[in-house]
Amino acid sequence: MVNVILKFVSCCRAADMRISTAEVLDCLGQLEIVDPCDERQFKTVLGANFAKSRREQGEFDRLYHFFFHALQSGFPLEDGLPEEKTQKAALSDAISDKMEQLIRQVTDQEGAEDPDKIKENELDQALMDFLAGNPLAFIQEVQKIQNRDEQTSQFFKSNLGQLSSRLEIMLRINRLKSKMVQFLGTHDAFIEPWAQSDVTGLKKRVTSQLNKALDFLNTEPRLDNAGLKETGARELHYKNVGEIPFANLTPGETQAVKQIIDRLVRKLEEITSRRFSAASRGMVDVKKTIQRSVKYLGVPVEIVHKARPPRKGKIVILCDVSGSVWSTARFMLNILYSLQTCFSRVKSYVFIERPTDVTSFFYSNEPNEAIKNILNDPRVNYNARTDYGMAFQQFRDDHFRELDKKTTLIIIGDARSNYLNPREPLLENMRDRCRRLIWLNPEQKKFWGTGDSEMMRYQDHCNEARACGNLNQLIDFIEALVL
Amino acid sequence: MRFKSVKDVRNRMEQTGYIPSQEICTIVFLAQETQKPILIEGPAGVGKTELAKSIAACLEQEMIRLQCYEGLDESKALYEWAYAKQLLYTQMLKGKINDVISTTASLAEAVDEIAEHEDAFFSDRFLQTRPLLAAISSIDPVVLLIDEIDKSDPEFEAFLLELLSDFQVTIPELGTIAAKSQPFVVLTSNNYRDMSDALKRRCIHLYIDYPTIETEKEILRMKIPGIQERLLSKVVATVAKIRELDLKKKPCISETLDWARSLMILQQEDITEDAIFKTLNTLCKHRADYGVIQENIAHLIKG
Repeated sequence: MVNVILKFVSCCRAADMRISTAEVLDCLGQLEIVDPCDERQFKTVLGANFAKSRREQGEFDRLYHFFFHALQSGFPLEDGLPEEKTQKAALSDAISDKMEQLIRQVTDQEGAEDPDKIKENELDQALMDFLAGNPLAFIQEVQKIQNRDEQTSQFFKSNLGQLSSRLEIMLRINRLKSKMVQFLGTHDAFIEPWAQSDVTGLKKRVTSQLNKALDFLNTEPRLDNAGLKETGARELHYKNVGEIPFANLTPGETQAVKQIIDRLVRKLEEITSRRFSAASRGMVDVKKTIQRSVKYLGVPVEIVHKARPPRKGKIVILCDVSGSVWSTARFMLNILYSLQTCFSRVKSYVFIERPTDVTSFFYSNEPNEAIKNILNDPRVNYNARTDYGMAFQQFRDDHFRELDKKTTLIIIGDARSNYLNPREPLLENMRDRCRRLIWLNPEQKKFWGTGDSEMMRYQDHCNEARACGNLNQLIDFIEALVL
Repeated sequence: MRFKSVKDVRNRMEQTGYIPSQEICTIVFLAQETQKPILIEGPAGVGKTELAKSIAACLEQEMIRLQCYEGLDESKALYEWAYAKQLLYTQMLKGKINDVISTTASLAEAVDEIAEHEDAFFSDRFLQTRPLLAAISSIDPVVLLIDEIDKSDPEFEAFLLELLSDFQVTIPELGTIAAKSQPFVVLTSNNYRDMSDALKRRCIHLYIDYPTIETEKEILRMKIPGIQERLLSKVVATVAKIRELDLKKKPCISETLDWARSLMILQQEDITEDAIFKTLNTLCKHRADYGVIQENIAHLIKG
C-alpha cells in the first residue's frame, strides 16, 4: 500500500502539484483509521491531503482516475466480487511479469541495433516505464512541455514549440505500439513458452496502455475554479450612457461618462475617508495617556488610543493597450488614479507584447493628460501583435517584485492572444504571489472563449473575472473594489 | 461523546438535523482521530457554518466562534489587557502601595519591592479573553469555529499557524499557555482569496458544493415536515434550475427552505409564473437577479 501511495504522490508531483512529505505521512496515518477498501473513503482521504484547494481538485481527480483506474496496475480497486478481484489481480500480475520480459527483450534488441540510442533517448525510456506500470517519467515529460518557456523572439513568433513536442510524443507512442506488436508477431522463439491467450492479452494490453498515454497527452488539465467570483453585472446605474460599450462612445457621450466618473470618484472618496476615521481606535497609547493624566493630578481620566493607519491596498494594473481594449482601459486607469487616496499605491503597466511601466506618467500629470502621453510613448510598440504569454513572462522576469500579499493585481484585457501560447501557469504564479487576481474583460461574457480568446483558460486561475465594457459594469466593479 | 466510526458520524449528524455526504462524514471522523483542523471551502449558504454547529451538537461540546474580517488582530482574537481597569486599580490602591514601600530605605529597594507585586497587575483578573484564548483555556474540549478566514489579513493567518500546530499561545507577561484540552477546529472560507500553503498544509481540506437534488429534498423533508411530495420535488428542481442561471447571488439552502415555506403559507400547490413572482423576494436578494429570472421564467416553470 505504501509503495502504491508513494508512486501516486510522485506522479502528482510530476504533474506540478505541491505535496509535502508531512502530507504523505498524514495521509498514510489516516488510511489506517478509515477503511481503505471502500473506494469513496480511500479517495476522500487522498483528496483531503493532496488537493488542498478546489482548484487542485480537478487535476487530482484526473490523476487519480489515470493512476488507479486507467492504468490498472494490478491494484484491486475495481468493483466486483472479492474472488473475481483476486483472480483479476493474479491475472494482471501474470501479464505484468510477461510485460516486463517483453520490454526487456525489446529494449535489448534496440540496444543491439544501435548501442547509444536508448541511453540518449529519455522519452522512449519513459514510455517503456509507462508500459511497465510506472507513469512517472511520462507525466514529467508531458508537464515539461506545458511549463516550457517560449523563446523570446522579436520578429517571428509561433506557438509551434509546444505543439511539435506533443506531436513528437504522439509519433513515438505510435511507433512503439507497432514495434511491440510486431515483435510479438515475429519472435516465435521468445513467446513460445507462453499460452496463446497470454500473447493476445499482452497485445491488447500494450495497445490499450499506449492509447491511454495518448489520451493523457491530449486531454489538457482543466482546473475546476469554483471559487471564481463571476459577476454578470446588470445593475442599471445609468440608463443610456451606462449601457453603451466604451468603444462606441461618441465624443459627447465620452464627456458625459467622464463627468459621471468624476462625481463617482468624489462620492467614493467621501465614503472611504469617513470609514477610515471611524476605524482608528486601536491599542491604548500608554505614553500619551500618562502625559494627559498630568492635567488631572495623575489620574488617567482621558485614555488615548493609538490611531491605526488605515489598511490600504496596493494596486498593480496590467493593461492590454491594443485597439479594442484601450477604450475601456483608459476609463479604468482614469478612475483608479483619481481614487489614489483610497489605495496606498497604484502601479500600472501597459503591454501589447511586453509590459512597460507607465506609473510615472500619472504622477506628473492629471489622469486624462497622462493617458494621452502614454499613447505617444515610444517604448510601447503599438504595431506589435498582442501576445499575452510573452507579456506575462516578461512581467514575471522584470516586475515580479511588485507583487506581494497586500497587492491586488488587476489585468485588463480581452485575452485575445492571436493563437500564441497562452502560458497560463504564469498567471497562476502571479496569483500565488498577490492577494487577489482580478481579470476585467471589455468583451461581454458570451464572447469569452470564442476564436482566439483564451479567457476560459485564464479565468481558471483568477480570483475574480468580470465583463467590464460599459459604464454600469465599471461602476459596479469600482464600488466592489473600494467599498 | 466521540464519534466511533464514519457511519456513527452520519447517524448522529442526521439526528441533529444535518444531512452530510459520505465525504463529509469521512473527513469529520478523520479530523477527530488525527486532531487536525478542517478547512471548509464552498459557496455561501451551503452549510459550512452549520456543519460546525452540528459537530458541536453531536459531540455535546460548546461552540466558540471567531468571525474574521479585515483588520482583525490579536487583541480582538486572542486577548487584551483591561487597561482602564488596571489604571483604576492603581489609583485606588495608591495608599496600599505606599504601605508596601514605606519600610524600604532606598529607591532601588522600593522598586524591587514593587516588582515583587507586579503579578498582581498582570494576572487573569485583568485579562480579557477573546475567542481563541477562551477555546484554548477551556477545561472541557470545545468546537472552535474560525469563520471566513479568507477575509482576515495575511498577518493574522500567520499568527494562526502557531496556534493551529501547537495549540499554545504566548502572552509576554504571563508566559506560554498550552491548551488544557485540544479544541476541534473548523475553518471556513468563501474563497475570497487563496490561503497560504502553510495553513493549508496543517488542515484537512473539504469542499462543500450545493447539495444534489436528492440531498436537498431530504433536507426539506426534515426541516418542513408537512410538505407535500409533489411540491417538494418541484421546488427543489426549480431551485436547481435557478442556480444554473447567471445570477449575482445564487439561492442557498436556507433560501430554498424559506421559499418552500412561503409557498406553503400561500397554499400554492404548483409552481406557476404567478406563484414565483409572488414569492420571489425569498429567493432573490438582488434587483438585477429579478430581471434574469423574468427572462427565463418559461424555462423555469417548464417540466
